[in-house]
This record gives sequence, structure tokens and C-alpha cells, in this order.
Amino acid sequence: MRISRFYLLQAVVFLALLFLALSLFHVQVLKGHYYRDLSIRNHIRLIPIEASRGRVFDRSGRLLATNRVSYDVVAFPEDVTPEVYPTLAKLLDMKEKEVRYRMSAGREYPFAPALIKPDIPKSLAILIEERKPELPGVAIRIGGVRHYPYGETASHVIGYIQAINGEEYERLDRDRFGIHSMIGRMGIEKYFDDTLRGWRGGEQIEVDARGRMVGVLSRRPAEPGSDLHLTLDLDFQQKIMELIKDQRASVAVIDLETEGLLAMASSPAYDPNIFVSPSASARRLSVLTDVQSPMIDRSIGAAYPPGSIFKLVTALAALEVGKITPQTRFFCNGRFKLGKSGRVARCWFEEGHGSINLYQAIERSCNVYFYNVATKLTPEEIAKYAHELGLGEPMRLEISKLAPGLIPDSAWKRARFKQPWYQGETINMAIGQGYVLVTPLEILRLTSIIAKNGKFVDPHLVQNNEYEESSRDRVAIREENLDVIKKAMLQVVESDYGTGQLARVDFGKLAAKTGTAQTPPLKAHGWMTGFFPYKDPKIAFVVFVEHGGSGGIAGARIVKQLIELWKGSYVPKIA
Amino acid sequence: MFRKLLKDLHWPLIVAVMSLAVIGILFIYSASFRDSGQYEIKQVLWAVIGLVTMLAIPYVGYRPLLSVGYLFYGFSVILLILVFFVGSKHFGAQRWLNVGPLLLQPSEFAKLGTLLALVNYLGSRNPLQGQTKTVLGALVLLAVPWLLVVKQPDLGTALLFIPMVLVMFFLWGIRWRFLITAFAGVLVMAPLAWEMLKDYQKKRILVFLNPNLDPLGSGYTAIQSKIAVGSGGLMGKGYLAGTQTQLHFVPEHHTDFIFCVIGEELGFIGTLLVLCLYAYLFQAIFLIMERTTDIKAKLLAGGVLALLASHVLINVGMTIGLMPITGLPLPLISYGGSSFIMNCIALGLVLSVYKERSIF
Repeated sequence: MRISRFYLLQAVVFLALLFLALSLFHVQVLKGHYYRDLSIRNHIRLIPIEASRGRVFDRSGRLLATNRVSYDVVAFPEDVTPEVYPTLAKLLDMKEKEVRYRMSAGREYPFAPALIKPDIPKSLAILIEERKPELPGVAIRIGGVRHYPYGETASHVIGYIQAINGEEYERLDRDRFGIHSMIGRMGIEKYFDDTLRGWRGGEQIEVDARGRMVGVLSRRPAEPGSDLHLTLDLDFQQKIMELIKDQRASVAVIDLETEGLLAMASSPAYDPNIFVSPSASARRLSVLTDVQSPMIDRSIGAAYPPGSIFKLVTALAALEVGKITPQTRFFCNGRFKLGKSGRVARCWFEEGHGSINLYQAIERSCNVYFYNVATKLTPEEIAKYAHELGLGEPMRLEISKLAPGLIPDSAWKRARFKQPWYQGETINMAIGQGYVLVTPLEILRLTSIIAKNGKFVDPHLVQNNEYEESSRDRVAIREENLDVIKKAMLQVVESDYGTGQLARVDFGKLAAKTGTAQTPPLKAHGWMTGFFPYKDPKIAFVVFVEHGGSGGIAGARIVKQLIELWKGSYVPKIA
Repeated sequence: MFRKLLKDLHWPLIVAVMSLAVIGILFIYSASFRDSGQYEIKQVLWAVIGLVTMLAIPYVGYRPLLSVGYLFYGFSVILLILVFFVGSKHFGAQRWLNVGPLLLQPSEFAKLGTLLALVNYLGSRNPLQGQTKTVLGALVLLAVPWLLVVKQPDLGTALLFIPMVLVMFFLWGIRWRFLITAFAGVLVMAPLAWEMLKDYQKKRILVFLNPNLDPLGSGYTAIQSKIAVGSGGLMGKGYLAGTQTQLHFVPEHHTDFIFCVIGEELGFIGTLLVLCLYAYLFQAIFLIMERTTDIKAKLLAGGVLALLASHVLINVGMTIGLMPITGLPLPLISYGGSSFIMNCIALGLVLSVYKERSIF
């Protein structure tokens, strides 16, 4: 038995080798001519097929980002004859040298086409097709170019795409990225690049001596990327952009029921189309170097002092730790002095507000009242409630998880400046000056939490997105205290002493808070945030005007129109 | 004395190994002389180290080496476990250990370690008594390193354990019904195993079955390497004159696809020559096996033979589309130090079997 097994093994090994030898004979000798033909004349061409990028829609299915057809001139240098260069250069209005350079520049695979000129006009593409007999090896490839039909309207939300660089090409998956692939650089295009991007396909074709296709050897179709539906309302967004154009400002509006953002506008904006088309480099440069910084999304990309808006946080902190009640009164004579030797701090209303309670203090945005409240609080207490209300906390927003805002406390100051915390800084912090920095979207979240009686809100932009659960459901703040703040915010607009009365609308009750953040020597930042209607709020909003002056004027003007616009497009549907 | 030493060596085997190594160096040069790697010089160094090791082993003898077989096995298992914690990751698999300037591939050691351990285990047990227990024990011995290699994941190496172990069981005298049961078991388990594969592994297998699925990826390689080999025809295009491989149509042409270079430049004559050299080498091992009466020696040589033969069959098969594309070297020809030296150690053991044939 053992012996026969040995010979059996020997037989298997040698038969397998014999089989290999016969297969090699078949491939090399019997079919050798066929393969030699393929190899000598290099008759196989590789054509990557790019996947079309997913589209982006607004809440009612209007296209925010789509693809339009482009005609690209490509060439297989193997099939190109010398006469082609001058002819092609002339047709494309390029230098012959550049055509040659493009012909030999990086190709993804041997025998893949080289891109000579992307996105030529259709008429030129037809002309080249007609003259194909004179242009062996040259072809028109139909591709897709990203197109943002509404230009600047929601540019910061949607973002833009750009060609990948060499280092990225080396690193990324070849099934998804080709040498000329585009990748999202900002906004939805960046953070949902994986969703929007499909899977590339490709084919190997056999061509004849003149470069004409004679057969497809193998083919894998591309899989297009998935579409995305945003919560934005295009009409609303457009009208809001209109409201803030020519200002440096941002406006965000949230639907309190779904927690989706109806509008998120930042001005000045940029036209994302200029990043797609290589011919727009001059415009691209002017946008990137513009002193008005149109590339910055002012609602999430930069943090500002919140000014009096922050009094909502100070008031809630003092109420929660029991240092004041809504009826606690302080006397405002327009001036406040901390201790005997302290510097005099002034109320914005120099004549003084007199003896006022918390409602009136918020309504009139009295600084002296909050200076007095601050003397009863530590910076840690204020910071704790600021964080509880989402300030300085990460966002779940799809296009920015960062919280660039800053809520200081004494530990932070020690670490940052190696100095102790001074009580004067608590005074400053209480009215949202000093080190406190927030983004408008953080303020929107704060207002939404108040409007929803303490439910923790995380604004989002994409419909049906699967979110990681918020770490908490509710903020640890008593509803009765939130009620006090809501009532006070109502008075801000509805009372004749209120700082926000310019925003008053005649069809419903608006609750809001203004803020005017001093930024000497420049003009102050104007803020206004609120919710509407007061009873059973549907939306919350934040308006921020960079160096726009008083929140009660610059902010309120925009808020009033904003509420009217919203009513125009939504109220009939609600009623 | 010196004469006696030389006489104890099995020269046909050594001639075959040296011829294959020379062919390897020539074609590593042909495949890479346009690049700056100077791989052929490094390979000369590896070849010298490997051959010296191979010739030294007979003077130690395989028995002392076998007696530390379990130790070596344990050591290679520890290395495999170590890879999980301190291994470096390349291409999504954790297979390598950084030892100074060297990248060690513990799965290479594991193959040899498992071979030695199984030789000890099976060789000291009678197949006619308590076979079931012995087979189960051997399978446990195999499973530990095998599962670790699968987990890395290094599917190519893991698959190569199978012919090696099968041949050893077979020569040892396993019952036919065990083999048939195992075969049936594989058929049943296949769908389950499929689920456990990584996406890229599934893709490779699917592309092998139908290269059209991925014309730009590994399907492209499959087609291009076949064109390279086929275009060599009967006589080849001449040394250093290959176009397919020189122009980088075929990737990894100095390592895994070196057979393409040979096929293209020397044609069928060349590929037949290489296959004949392998056949000559295998026949040498068969002769050595035939002459030994030590069951352990026979199992040892059989395991080495199975390892070498499966590498050759899979590597050559993959260049002409008979096998899926896996990253396996062509033994003694492909560029690479660890594989060359491991093969030399294995063949050194076989030489030692020849030298000690006369003990009984």
C-alpha cells in the first residue's frame, strides 16, 4: 500500500507538470501568433469609465448640484501620427508643445487614453468628430462635469469638488479614483464624498492599426454615486441670500420639528462652479484672495463674541444655581463698579434702567443687572451651563463637527495665559464679551434648546441620514427656568422697551434676543436669535452681521423680513 | 575526508537548484534593469547565503533539526501571535515583523515549523493503531498556525499548507475514507468560508472565474500576463528584448510574475526548460524518498516536495490564467530573500536525508 501511494504521488506531480507544459504549448506555440500580434501592435486599449457623481437635491427635490455633459478630447499616443499634433493644436487653440506634453503626461494605465483638453464646446467636439480621418488616435469622450445651477446660493453648504493631487492619487482606491478624478473639498461634497462617489468601471478594447475599435475584450460598467436630499429649502435660502447680500453676515433657520436646517446662508459667498472648470483660474484666485473672505462659512467656520445673547446663558446659570429668582431686582444707574477701586463699567444705556427684574433686564439687555448677577457666580458655573446648552460642544452637523467656539473658565485661563482668573473677567463673560467666542450655529442650537423646553437639539442638513444618537436627550435645566427665559425673550420683541422691537411682525408673536458684541476699534457685531411663533414654535433662527453695528437694528431688520418670508412660504401649509 | 563529504551530497539536486537560481538572477536582471533597484545583485547575495545554508545542513543532519522541530514550531507560532501586536501593516494585511532592517514574514517560518512538527508527530505514530486519534491530533497541530495565518490575512500561504499536509498524511498512510470525508467536508464548508473572506479576496476569486469583471484591476493583469507569455511564441523575443514585461504591462515582474519575463523572452523553449529543471529537482527528491527507510525522512522530503510543487503549479498556472492571481513567488527564481532561504533550508533537509540514507 505504502509503495503504491508513493508512485501515485509521483504520477500526480508529473502529470500536473505535463499539464502545465501542454498549456504553455497551447498559449505559446499554438496561439503564440495571436498573442504576439496583440503585444507587438499593442492592440489593446484600456478605457476607464468614470462613475457619475450623485446629485444633491433640496427638500423639495430641486437640484442643488448636478452633472452636465462635457466633451473631452482624449488621445491614444500609440495611434497618433506626427501630422496630428499641428492640426489638433490649431483646432483646440493650444500650443503644439502643450499638446505633446499632454500626450506624454501621466496616464493611468499603459494604453489608457491621455486627456488632451477637457470640456470643449459641443460645436468643436462635432468638428473634431467630422475630421477624425485626419486625426488618428484622437477621440471625443463624453463625460460629466459638476454643475451647481444656483451658483452662490448655498455654496458653503454644498461645497465644491476639485481634481485630486498626485499624493492623493497614490493613496486612494483605484476602483474609485482615477488620475483625473475630482474629490469634494468643502461642505456636503467633502463630507459625503464617499456617498456621492460611485465605483469606476472600465473596458479593454481591441483596436485596429488605425486605432479604431474592433471589439470589446471585457467590460465593467461604472456604478453611479448615490443622490443626497438636503433639508434646505432652495427658495427660502435664495431669498435669504438676497437679504444679506453685500453684507458680511450669516443667517441660519432650523425647522424645530425635524431639526433640519431650512436655510444656512453666509455672505459673501462664492460660485462653486469656478473650482470645477479649469478655465476659471483667474476668478478662483480672486475669490481666494478676497479680503471679504467669501470662502469662510460665517455660520460655522468662524467664532465671534456673542455679546448680549450670552446673557441668556448667564441668566439660566444664576437661576439654576439659585442665586437669583426672576423677581430679583438690581438698580441700574448706567454705571457699575466692581469693589471700591474697580474700573467703572457702563451700561449701554447711560441714563440707567433703574430698578429692574430679570424679565426687564433681558428685555432691555441691561448690562449692569448682569454685572450684579456675575458677582454671585463663578466662571465655572457660567461655563458649565454654557456647555450644557451646547456652546463649545461638538456639533453633529454633517459638514462640520468642530466647535470652534470657546467658553473660558479659570482652568482654561491658567493653561492659556498662566494667569489667575480675575473677577472682572466674570463680569465681562456674563455679558458675552472677553474671551467668550461662539459660532452662529452654536447660538442657533442654544435658542432651539430653549424653544423646545430643554430638549437637546442638533441641527442637521441631510434628510434620512442615519445619525449617531445624541449623547443626551435633554439638558439638565429646569423647564420653569427655561420658561422664564422664553417669556423674557418674548418681551424683547413685544415690549415697547424691548431691544428687538424693530423685528416685530403683525401676524404672530416673536421671541428673540439681540446682541451687540463690541469689537473696538471696529464696528460691533450685530446678533439676533429667536424662535417663532412664541406659542408652539415652528422655527428658530440666528442672524449675525459681522461689524454690522447694533443687533437691535442690523439684526432685527433682517429678522423681520426673514419671518415674513417664512410665513409666505410655510404658513398656508401649516394652517 | 573532503572527498567523502562531497560524495555524500546528492549532486543532481544541487545542480537543479543552482540552475534555477542562475535563471532567476538572469531574469530578475532582465525584469528590472531599467529600474534602479539592483535586485539582481541583492538576489546573488541571497542565493549565496541560501546555497551555503543548504549545503551546511547535511553536516548537521536532519535528525537534530527534527528533534527541535516542536520547539521551532512553538517559536513560529509565537512569531505569528507577535505579528498581531507589533506587526507592520501593508496592503491591509498584518504579515510582517520589523527586525532591524529586515522585514520578516513569520508565515514563511510557520510553514517550515508546521512541517517539522507534523513530521515528528506523524512519524512517531503507527498509522495502523488509533489512526483517528492521531489524525485529530495532527489537525490540531496544524490548526493553530493555520488559523493565525488565515487571520492575518494571508490566504495564499494558508492555502499552501493544504497540499503539504495532504501529501504528508497520504504518505504516512491515512485511510482513504478520511481523505474522502475531508473532501466532502470542504465542499460543504465552502459557502461558509466564502462568507468569511474579505471583500478583496472575494473579488480576486470572482475575477479569476471571470476576468471581465475587473478589466482594469487584476483582470487586466491576468490578460496582460497571458499576452506576455503567449507572445513569446516558440523561440521567444530574446533575452532583455521582451516588450510586454519591459514596458510594465505586467506588474511585479521581478517577483511574482517573473515567469512572464521568461516566457516572453525565451518562448516555449525557455518555459519548457524551466519546467524540466523543476521536474528534475522533483525527481531527485522522489529518488531520495525512495531510498530512505526512515518514515520521518520520507514525510519530511514529501512535505518539502509538496510545498515546492504547489508553488510552481500555482505560480506558473496564474501567469497563463489557469490559477487565480495570488502573491506567490516562483521557488528559487523569483526575487526575494526569505522565500529563497526558506526553500534552501527545506532542500538542505532533503539533502541530509540522502546523506543519512545508509544509517540503516
